[in-house]
Amino acid sequence: MSIVLPLDEEQRDALQELLNISMGQAANSLAQLIETKIDISIPKISAVTPTQLYSLLFETKDAFYTRQSFLGDVHGEVMSVLSQAGLSEVATLMDYDEPLSKEDIQEIILELCNILAGACLAGLSEQLELTTNLNMPTLFLPDKANFDELQWQHSLVMEVQFVIAISSFSMRVVFCLDDESLARMKDTLDELLA
Amino acid sequence: MFEQLVGKLPVGIGIVDEDFNVVYLNDFFLDRLPHNMRSCYKETPVVELFQGQGKFLKRRLKSVFVLQHPSFSYWEQRPHIFPFKSSRPITGEETQMYQNMEILPIKDKTTGQRLACIFLQDVTAQASYFRAQQKLSEALKKEHEAQRKLIRKLDTAQSQLIQAEKMASTGQLAAGIAHEINNPIGFVNANLNTLEQYASHLLAICDGVKTQLEHFTDDLKEQISVLFESNHYDLLKDDITELITESTDGLTRVKDIVENLKNFSLETTEGTQVVDICAVCHQLITLISAQYSSPQYKLQCEHEKVEVMGNPGPLKQALMNVMINAAQAIEEKGFIKLTVIDAAQSVTIKILDSGCGIPVKNLKRVFEPFFTTKPEGQGQGLGLSVAYTAIEQHQGKISISSKEAKGTVVEITIPKQSTAAASCCEESEVENSQAT
Ligand SMILES: Nc1ncnc2c1ncn2[C@@H]1O[C@H](COP(=O)(O)OP(=O)(O)O)[C@@H](O)[C@H]1O
Ligand SMILES: [Mg+2]
Repeated sequence: MSIVLPLDEEQRDALQELLNISMGQAANSLAQLIETKIDISIPKISAVTPTQLYSLLFETKDAFYTRQSFLGDVHGEVMSVLSQAGLSEVATLMDYDEPLSKEDIQEIILELCNILAGACLAGLSEQLELTTNLNMPTLFLPDKANFDELQWQHSLVMEVQFVIAISSFSMRVVFCLDDESLARMKDTLDELLA
Repeated sequence: MFEQLVGKLPVGIGIVDEDFNVVYLNDFFLDRLPHNMRSCYKETPVVELFQGQGKFLKRRLKSVFVLQHPSFSYWEQRPHIFPFKSSRPITGEETQMYQNMEILPIKDKTTGQRLACIFLQDVTAQASYFRAQQKLSEALKKEHEAQRKLIRKLDTAQSQLIQAEKMASTGQLAAGIAHEINNPIGFVNANLNTLEQYASHLLAICDGVKTQLEHFTDDLKEQISVLFESNHYDLLKDDITELITESTDGLTRVKDIVENLKNFSLETTEGTQVVDICAVCHQLITLISAQYSSPQYKLQCEHEKVEVMGNPGPLKQALMNVMINAAQAIEEKGFIKLTVIDAAQSVTIKILDSGCGIPVKNLKRVFEPFFTTKPEGQGQGLGLSVAYTAIEQHQGKISISSKEAKGTVVEITIPKQSTAAASCCEESEVENSQAT
């Protein structure tokens, strides 16, 4: 990606470290809840244009998408991409009875996103000593045209992938911050580094 | 003051501890409890107090306590978590309350005890509005689909009408013309035969004179030779037979066309009888393969015999025309496959060829009388229109589909017991005879 990251190297390393910790915690929470081992990828930090964000998120085939906004000291949105494969195993782990109705599936998706995004955000906020409140998640059917028309030029994204060990299920969570929040986070990182 | 405020809020607020026992309920919940429970609800498990979605509620509470993170639930996926009646018990249409729920983790400031706060929102009004809208849009969609179907039906009906009309008028015209032409052709043919004989006699006389020339006087010899030369006897002799042969050939072609035109009106005398389609197919293959030897012919019949009631003449003619087209479509190598399918009420004959196929733009026109793409002398463009009329006469249907450079398949279905007498009343049957 040709865009320079709005973070310097030190800030970036610090954020990476914080992300590693908080995402690990998130995975642990979920693992505890559904009593299964969960693997996570090393979180990735990058800067993207709206079009790049679109391809980052939505060019996955056979997936469900959700979005969820958060407010507080920093503002932004979490978007999640969930694989359709393996969802029924996860549903069993979450104590749902087969066969799953359409509503069950929607509910599971929303709940999974809420849990994971919530855990990630909570972890990150705690590390950065910021308060954030997550709003309720909604299902999302993205339209490429809408993305091309977005107002912002580029955004910092933090991306992490969760894989549930016993099934083929996987899920990606992508955090996007608005400009003001990015500035605030940079300040916070600097304070931590000082 | 806060206590009062929370109590009166128009949303449900309930607090439970880590064992899911109720710590607090505001009026929204209390109003909906059985009267005798209102004073002694504390320390009761929430799932006992509000029965119904206990399993779900417990799951969500557990998640909130474990993750220390809010949980959400929406009416779209789970409309009735708490077994409450709609807020309008007298006038409302919904009998059960639609609910959105949010559970938040909280902490008792003084004891540090972990608690969960349940917010319950009555969204019955939104939900019923939303559902009414959905019903409406579904109804609209259905109506729209029905309309589109109708339009499609109208379209086909119209094109079939046009087709039928064309066929009918051409059929009448053809029969009339054929009849009119038949007479003159008769005597022209007879005369031409006589003329041929006369010509050969005349030539014999002349040739006789020529061979006897030696025996004449020089004067006479001279005169006769001049006569032969001035009338270009040698040329004339060569040409006259050729002219007559050509005329006879031409006349044969005219006769063929007239015969075809007569077939087109399909006035036959044979009447309805049992026709064995398999036998007809065998015959036709023998007949056609004699003339068109390059294609490979295959016949697939389910049974030894597949019989229908019909007019053998027109039926054979129809199959023959279609098969000739198939044979003509194959330039060098290729195959023609006939499949006879015996259904309970009808018989379907598929004639498939691996020939040149028909371009899309022509496909619509192949059943039109006089539509042909073949060089002059090879096609009159009547084959398929004759077939069409014949099959229609049997209350059957004929359809053609083709892919350019791949091949063509013609499918003919005829009822086993055609109700020829009732044909005038069965307009709907005609509608099925697709000409595309
Ligand atoms: N099996 C076929 N393969 C390719 N073209 C065909 C076939 N059957 C019919 N056609 C096309 O339809 C036209 C009309 O056929 P028809 O009515 O039998 O008249 P004709 O054979 O005398 O041309 C043909 O000229 C030809 O272009
Ligand atoms: Mg033909």
